[in-house]
Amino acid sequence: MVVDGLLYTKEHEWVKVEGGIATIGISDHAQEQLGEITFVELPAVGQEFAKQGELAIAESSKAASDIYSPISGKVTEINTELEAAPEKVNEDCYNSGWFCKMQITDPSSTKDLMDAKQYEEYLKGI
Amino acid sequence: MGNNRSTGKFVFEPTPAGPVGSILYNQHLKYTPKSRFADFAGYLMPLWFTSISDEHDAVRNKAGLFDCTHMGVLEVQGPDAAGFINTVTTNNVTKITPGRAQYSYILDAAGNVLDDIIVYQRAEQKYMVVVNAANEPKIKAYLDALLSGKAPLNTGSPDKKLAFCPIIRDMRDTSTGDNCRLDIAIQGPASLDILCDLFEDEPSQQLKELKNFRLFEADLAGVNCIISRTGYTGAGIGYELFVHPENVEQLWEKLIEAGKPHGLALCGLGARDSLRIEAGLPLYGHELDGPFGISPFEAGYGWAVKLDKGFFIGKEPMQKCSADSKMQVARVALPGERGIRPVRANDVVVADGKCIGWILSSAKISEKQIAIAYITKENSEPDIAIGVYYLARNARQISEGKKESARLNESLQADINGNVLSRFEKF
Repeated sequence: MVVDGLLYTKEHEWVKVEGGIATIGISDHAQEQLGEITFVELPAVGQEFAKQGELAIAESSKAASDIYSPISGKVTEINTELEAAPEKVNEDCYNSGWFCKMQITDPSSTKDLMDAKQYEEYLKGI
Repeated sequence: MGNNRSTGKFVFEPTPAGPVGSILYNQHLKYTPKSRFADFAGYLMPLWFTSISDEHDAVRNKAGLFDCTHMGVLEVQGPDAAGFINTVTTNNVTKITPGRAQYSYILDAAGNVLDDIIVYQRAEQKYMVVVNAANEPKIKAYLDALLSGKAPLNTGSPDKKLAFCPIIRDMRDTSTGDNCRLDIAIQGPASLDILCDLFEDEPSQQLKELKNFRLFEADLAGVNCIISRTGYTGAGIGYELFVHPENVEQLWEKLIEAGKPHGLALCGLGARDSLRIEAGLPLYGHELDGPFGISPFEAGYGWAVKLDKGFFIGKEPMQKCSADSKMQVARVALPGERGIRPVRANDVVVADGKCIGWILSSAKISEKQIAIAYITKENSEPDIAIGVYYLARNARQISEGKKESARLNESLQADINGNVLSRFEKF
């Protein structure tokens, strides 16, 4: 499942840009690949990341997967609910399973992200 | 491929090839999307169908169906078959009779474990040997090397010649005709009833009375099968069915249909792993051999290495390691509620603030994590308190001071605490 209105990376993160703020999560394809997610390590509020920086880690019983920062920015809010209920990423990855919000520090860092249609095409090719 | 005559180490370089679907690939696609498949030993196999925990529970309480058609199946026959197997494997094959199976190891002359196997005796002078999918090309190459004198039997006397010349065939090779066989498994308490439902006449008395590690041949839903009460899940009742490739799909569908009222679940590689971990069963490359070079004695299977029988390949090094080992494979329990970081292979096992070993495999089973670890013998008794230190998961954690590895006795503070369990558990 791909949601319209979001931007996507090749590593299967999604970004919702509103004003200068990016909300970040992982796509349905990514949560499906990971399997039952039992632990999420989130960044700290205030931490800054360059695009592609190691933003978070999602762990299932089978793998620990890095979640890369899809943009350059500074973390303004994290989804603390994931600490006790990481299964939200499996159940509702585009809504309550969001990871964090970031203040975009380099607007050009969103330029190469895919829209829903492009991401859907990309998924077909892998 | 090659080998070293003086050290006796058998080295095999596999030919890389892209993954292929198993013979049941199209069947699997009816029940699970392509995104849930993974490359395992060159085969695209489903990781799960519904969920790992549902499939795990089905095997413990009802039954589960496993595609094992990727496992290697070799036939060894002829007047030299028993002598050959007894030279090449560690257990004593002369102790079994037709209709019985035996767990065993294939070692090289240096004592490295090349695979753990089950030898099934089908008739006098006729054996079937099932090897791990990942090791199949290596084992075939090794047996060839032994038969052609290219791999040494003994490092001490490198000119010792193999006295046996059996007929070895790959039973998965369709050119073997009617004799061709592939492995599927049905495991769990309801598996007997499901198989009974597939007998066309009376449910087979022979099947009902079949004991562990015994086998017989029968027609199941009109398909000729070797039915063996063996498996890799720790289930008290469970069977492997060896069927001709032409009949695999047909029998698979019949099993799914007959299993429906019994709660039969299709099981992927995920549940296969969590079930064997919960039972304490080793996986080659993790609890056997692998980066730690774990011996059968350390793995808890010294009984399958018969040091009191005559010569077998790897006997001398086995005599040494049976006495020398200071490490032991142990099962441990750790907390596993959601929100607790899962332990992974190579994470450090800690007791009294010191590294005592490493995690080999782990699985989340309901609210717990069950792991298999390689730890110092004195800490391997049930109920001993242990902990685990998580190694760094990425570069950022390394920069924050998390270690990437740890040596025995190194001082470390555990991140989570648990305890040692009994080595095995039966269900």
